[in-house]
Amino acid sequence: MLAPFRELFAYRALIQILVARDLKARYRGSVLGLLWTLLNPLLHMGIYALLFSVYMRSATERYAVFLLCGLLPWIWFSASLMMGATSIVEGGSLLKKVFFPAHVLPTVTVTANFVNFLLGIPILFTFLVLYGVQMGLPVLLLPFIIVCQFAFTLGLTFMIAAVSVHYRDIPHILGHLLTFWFFLSPIVYPATQVPESYRFILFLNPFVPFVVAYQDILLYNVYPSPGVCGEMIGISLGVLLCGLCVFTHLRWSFAEEI
Amino acid sequence: MIAVEVESLSKRFRRQTVRPYTTIKSAIVDIFRRRRSAEAESFEVLSGITFSVKQGQTLSIIGRNGSGKSTLLKVLAGIYRVDHGRVRVHGRIGALLELGTGFHPEFSGRENVLINGVILGLSKKEVRQRFDQIVQFAGLEASIDEPVKTYSSGMYMRLGFAVAVHADLDILLIDEILAVGDAAFQLKCFDKIAEFRQHGKTIILISHDLASVEQLSDEVLWLDRGVIREQGKPQRVINQYRCDMLGQEERTGLYGPHESDRF
Repeated sequence: MLAPFRELFAYRALIQILVARDLKARYRGSVLGLLWTLLNPLLHMGIYALLFSVYMRSATERYAVFLLCGLLPWIWFSASLMMGATSIVEGGSLLKKVFFPAHVLPTVTVTANFVNFLLGIPILFTFLVLYGVQMGLPVLLLPFIIVCQFAFTLGLTFMIAAVSVHYRDIPHILGHLLTFWFFLSPIVYPATQVPESYRFILFLNPFVPFVVAYQDILLYNVYPSPGVCGEMIGISLGVLLCGLCVFTHLRWSFAEEI
Repeated sequence: MIAVEVESLSKRFRRQTVRPYTTIKSAIVDIFRRRRSAEAESFEVLSGITFSVKQGQTLSIIGRNGSGKSTLLKVLAGIYRVDHGRVRVHGRIGALLELGTGFHPEFSGRENVLINGVILGLSKKEVRQRFDQIVQFAGLEASIDEPVKTYSSGMYMRLGFAVAVHADLDILLIDEILAVGDAAFQLKCFDKIAEFRQHGKTIILISHDLASVEQLSDEVLWLDRGVIREQGKPQRVINQYRCDMLGQEERTGLYGPHESDRF
């Protein structure tokens, strides 16, 4: 079970080079370059704030910051999934000619998007300060939540990347699914606003504990409940193991299918 | 000291029908139509392959197109998994299997050298240290910073070979790509291969250039439709291969007299 992790560690130089190459490629030839990574969530935030806070007059205080707390992790998650889904198919030219563990490819995608996420964190903190949000010790849990999300995102990306090699329409379907998933997660609205009879939808959504945890420690200055923490750990480990299993099981079919 | 050991190797490929991949939509539709996607036929591309290569030897694999040579090399390189049998490799193995092995077209030669070097097992520092040597060997000083998609096939091959040759490999697998270089570069390659043999490195080569095969190899393996037809000293095996080829051509009437006898 540990073998894939050992392989990834052995190939860490390659992962680092490919992540750097990925990030450079994204911004090569674009006018704003790296600035776009930061501008993108801000633009999203602006539009949603306009829509929900001004037009629809949501009762949530400090709406813009509230939104950002869930939006940044979501962008990391959804971008990893979308790009990860095609990572094996696109990396095919490499896989068919040279030996390296295929696990490297989705890992590179998740890591590249993670770097983008990290770049957005200073912006998040700037907004938190600007809106006069009280922050305390709970903020120290941030690395813990990030690690859990990394595991969750990686596991799911492994799964989707592997299956997408055999079913080529998954990336298309995924785009739509992620839109629904976004709105079913308490990112543009607080979880407390969901009527009792609909709460079960929140429970079924594995991304919810993460959003709630981020919001708890950043915005509300409280520790996430043990239930939420337990869910996060359970879901991350479970999805990571599942994803690894599926991926490792399918890996030898990649070179022939691509 | 055995470098590569292969025992009873077999590999099957699924025969791909017109629709090479399924989509979820088609999978669901198939369920409704109650049609099982035709149980994919498979064919055996390699069967019962057994041979070994001693350290420092150069083995050449010859055979007609489609006989399984490239597949065999890919199995040795770890790209395909065996269905039956065993492959044991002792030492660092690297492969030059297709033109532009591992090259990403949008990036420059320089960046691709780094990526390829690291994939072949060098550290970033080592790649940087040997970078100038690599570029000089490939003769690509002028275009090393241009995107690789602008390279000619010869340039691709030279760069790939240059990286592989400077990568501290114990075993080198080369698949039919040497034919692409010009005469000057071919000489460089042969010199390098000779140097490799002096240093005790192992080479497994696929080539249709029977003359150089005879010159370079210690042993030759003849693969025919997935099985080993002959194995042994270069001259003997190559002669048998040539005879067989001529015989086949006669039987199919390409060079034989019987077609024209009808009129």
